[in-house]
Amino acid sequence: MGMLTLGHRRAGMPPAPRDVVGTSPPRPDALAKVTGAARYPGDLSRPGQLHLWAVLAGRPHARILGVDARPALAHPGVVAVLTAADVPRNRFGLIEDDQPVLAEGVVRWVGERVALVAAETREAAATGARLVEVTYEDLPVVADPATALAPGTPLVQPGRPDGNLLTEVRIRRGDAAGALAGAATVLEATFTTTWQEHAFLQPEAGVAWVEDDGRVVVETAGQWAHDDRREVASTLGLPDEQVVIRYAAIGGAFGGREDLTVQPLLALAAWTLRRPVALVWDRTESMLGHPKRHPMSIRARWGVDGDGRIRGVEADLTADAGAYASTSQEVVKAATLLLTGAYRVPNVALHGRAVLTNNVPTGAFRGFGAPQAQFAAESMVARLAEAIGDDPVAFRQRNLYREGDLEPTGRPLPAGVGALATLEACAAEARRRFGIGWDGLGRVPGASSAPRQAGEAVPSAGTDGIARKRPRRGVGIACGIKNLGYSFGFPERATATVELYGRGEVERATVRIGAADVGQGVHLALRQIAADGLRLPLAAVALVADDSAEAPDAGSASASRLTLVAGRAVHDAVAAARAKWPETDDERVEATVTYRPPATTPLDPITGEGTPNYCYGYAAQAVEVEVDPATGVVRVLGVVSAHDVGRAINPRAIEGQVEGGVAQALGYALLEDFRMADGFVLTRTWDDYLLPTALDVPDEIVPLVLETADPNGPFGARGMAELPLVPFLPAVAAAIHDAVGVWLTDQPFTPERVQFALDDSPGTSARVRTPSPATSSDDGS
Amino acid sequence: MADTMAAPAKVAITLTVNGEQRTGQVEPRTLLVHFLREGLGLTGAHVGCDTSQCGSCVVELNGASVKSCTVLAVQADGAEVLTIEGLGRDGAYHPIQEGFWEKHGLQCGYCTPGMIMSAYGLLKRNPDPSEDEIRHALDGNLCRCTGYQNIVRSIQYAAQLMKDGPTAPVATSAD
Repeated sequence: MGMLTLGHRRAGMPPAPRDVVGTSPPRPDALAKVTGAARYPGDLSRPGQLHLWAVLAGRPHARILGVDARPALAHPGVVAVLTAADVPRNRFGLIEDDQPVLAEGVVRWVGERVALVAAETREAAATGARLVEVTYEDLPVVADPATALAPGTPLVQPGRPDGNLLTEVRIRRGDAAGALAGAATVLEATFTTTWQEHAFLQPEAGVAWVEDDGRVVVETAGQWAHDDRREVASTLGLPDEQVVIRYAAIGGAFGGREDLTVQPLLALAAWTLRRPVALVWDRTESMLGHPKRHPMSIRARWGVDGDGRIRGVEADLTADAGAYASTSQEVVKAATLLLTGAYRVPNVALHGRAVLTNNVPTGAFRGFGAPQAQFAAESMVARLAEAIGDDPVAFRQRNLYREGDLEPTGRPLPAGVGALATLEACAAEARRRFGIGWDGLGRVPGASSAPRQAGEAVPSAGTDGIARKRPRRGVGIACGIKNLGYSFGFPERATATVELYGRGEVERATVRIGAADVGQGVHLALRQIAADGLRLPLAAVALVADDSAEAPDAGSASASRLTLVAGRAVHDAVAAARAKWPETDDERVEATVTYRPPATTPLDPITGEGTPNYCYGYAAQAVEVEVDPATGVVRVLGVVSAHDVGRAINPRAIEGQVEGGVAQALGYALLEDFRMADGFVLTRTWDDYLLPTALDVPDEIVPLVLETADPNGPFGARGMAELPLVPFLPAVAAAIHDAVGVWLTDQPFTPERVQFALDDSPGTSARVRTPSPATSSDDGS
Repeated sequence: MADTMAAPAKVAITLTVNGEQRTGQVEPRTLLVHFLREGLGLTGAHVGCDTSQCGSCVVELNGASVKSCTVLAVQADGAEVLTIEGLGRDGAYHPIQEGFWEKHGLQCGYCTPGMIMSAYGLLKRNPDPSEDEIRHALDGNLCRCTGYQNIVRSIQYAAQLMKDGPTAPVATSAD
């Protein structure tokens, strides 16, 4: 801090030497971001550029009878109107290329792009887009998965082998039906979730142009420059190397920039018109235009033995994939695998489906299926503990994964199982911080800040309208597990090039790795890893990451994987370059290393056997809430969020990920109610889609970082960025139950739903439920 | 049809932006944020939502924090405007900028200029705000990355710095 003079830092002053692994130097990109100098995609422009405006379908399912561009072309300033016929190869997609750049003959969801207007001004482009006359014949709308799978329902994508069933996953181990038949206590419930919108602050935008050498450059935001390049090049029918993807400052992503949106439109227009082009989406276009988190319906049956051990689980999951595949196959595999959470279950029968509809496509969103699956799993665990009169922590301690346990797929877990450690750390910290907690046998008497005494029944509206109006506090705890890195045999690797410069001693280095910094701070973490390995100050390590032609492929900023995989590639490339240094008199050496983690495998289609993942992250969260029974409003008062990160490369960045992830999870749990009706999006702006503000987030979010070294990650680091989204929803459900005695099963927990649940609760027995020795069915409301 | 969609006549405006007199020709419908970004090249004020929720576009207009997406450029005719680009002086950073740097008050950074300008307005009104007052002052600014914790800490840090630092430039626009 010695560099501060009267609270002002001279621009350009080098940072203090606090830049090795395990420390938290300020983010280098912060300088441009606090002065307004940082350039996001919507801030870019090119001399002589045309402005683009996409014509969206605005209807969920229709045949295109004709596109008349003449009224638009007659408008002053409009230069061109591009349609499907102008796209050299009109297909793209992350996993399978089932999506057209511009609709061809039919539109399958409201956000489908039908035509692209190019004009000399943004205003002319907007007007031109309104003047394009598209004639439609509306088709029956497939509005939900149940309809989609019913006999006789129209096909969303005709010609697919399984109709509207996009994918189906089965994982079997032991004899689940037999185990449940013989279990001492069995509970069953159904859980539902709705879409979640990423709501990154920076709407999709970018510029594109064609270089003199014929290369098409698209400067935009994304999560994987090299895959964007592959997909864009494919749509133009060009070799990959003829397309360059550059990332400007990226205004958040959270999975919502994994799929292409504006990129192929920009490339198509620049390539076809041979003019620089710019395209900026507004918020509604963004809300309609990129895939969301999957709505899921999950039915779960869990059974425990008389000694409180989970004996068997049957669970069935249906996800709405929307109109195109995106990453739905992968999300549903991941979600199905995690339907038993982080628990050892000897007998499982898990079933997952993704179903095509005419809704907005669904794909990657921080957590990638884990939050929905573990809303069900953790809620069932909490209910089972309650049903057998056990403590929620003790029940989990008895049943959580240990090192060497088998996954539902029948193979041992990857080493580094932090489930128990994160739970115990979380429970202890929750007790210390908030005076709430569990002693392993029951609630600590008097430890809760809740006004209610243990055993006090919760009055319902029918019996005590006055008491019902008093706000009540409650606490809840839940665990979480999430794969880190790609799964199920998807090729997993990252390549880094390290260049060392100096005379005699290494004086500076350049690290090249095409890893996207979407805000999470991975660029700084990668530089810290390199600086540590080279014993250089941070300022002497340059990073080249944002250009697909200048940096090798790191894979995507997703699955919490970059610190682990890209970090290890940098770590190993540093070591390789250092090894070369003494053997040469050159003033420059270079080494390139591709790191490949242990291989995963696809699951056996019948049994689900296989090695799905090479690394998992573990987390536990404790949440205190206050529920106002008069209004149904739930306020989160405090959160403890415990994470095993392997090794904290930059502790402050990790804390920032925890705090930001908790805020997103809070929005998911309580506020964010993305709605569609008959294929139309009802929540089209942030007027309708509520996001957490500084007043919704509690003053106290306690990030708790454990460091059990991962065998593969650099310095033992593993990923963590998705984990805060995983336990939060069931932890809030448990806290609401603790406060007012009702279990909520439909996300989000809006005031209306809390009220309905209270109204439906059977009098004073709501909280003190007598467990049935046999099956007690509770399908929620 | 083309007649009804012809661009309306433009209006000349003159305003002081970050201490410099600037002029422009704008359509009456042009929002201040678009004039700043496209007319003057000051892209620090960001457009995030189009419906006045996100606060990424906050600037100071005649001494008051405003969302520049809810002000017409013609309404700013004759006004003094301070944007994020004008906050630091003489190659130095304003204490609030210093706070966001020092306290990790940003991740993607898209909301940051609006957050800083809202905080600037707050600290002018209230140099020693409580955490609750800071959170209320930020209620019109959305951040999707940080969970707000470090933004609050950044502003607390800045408030302390401004109390300790006698030369901190608090009221640049009133110069």
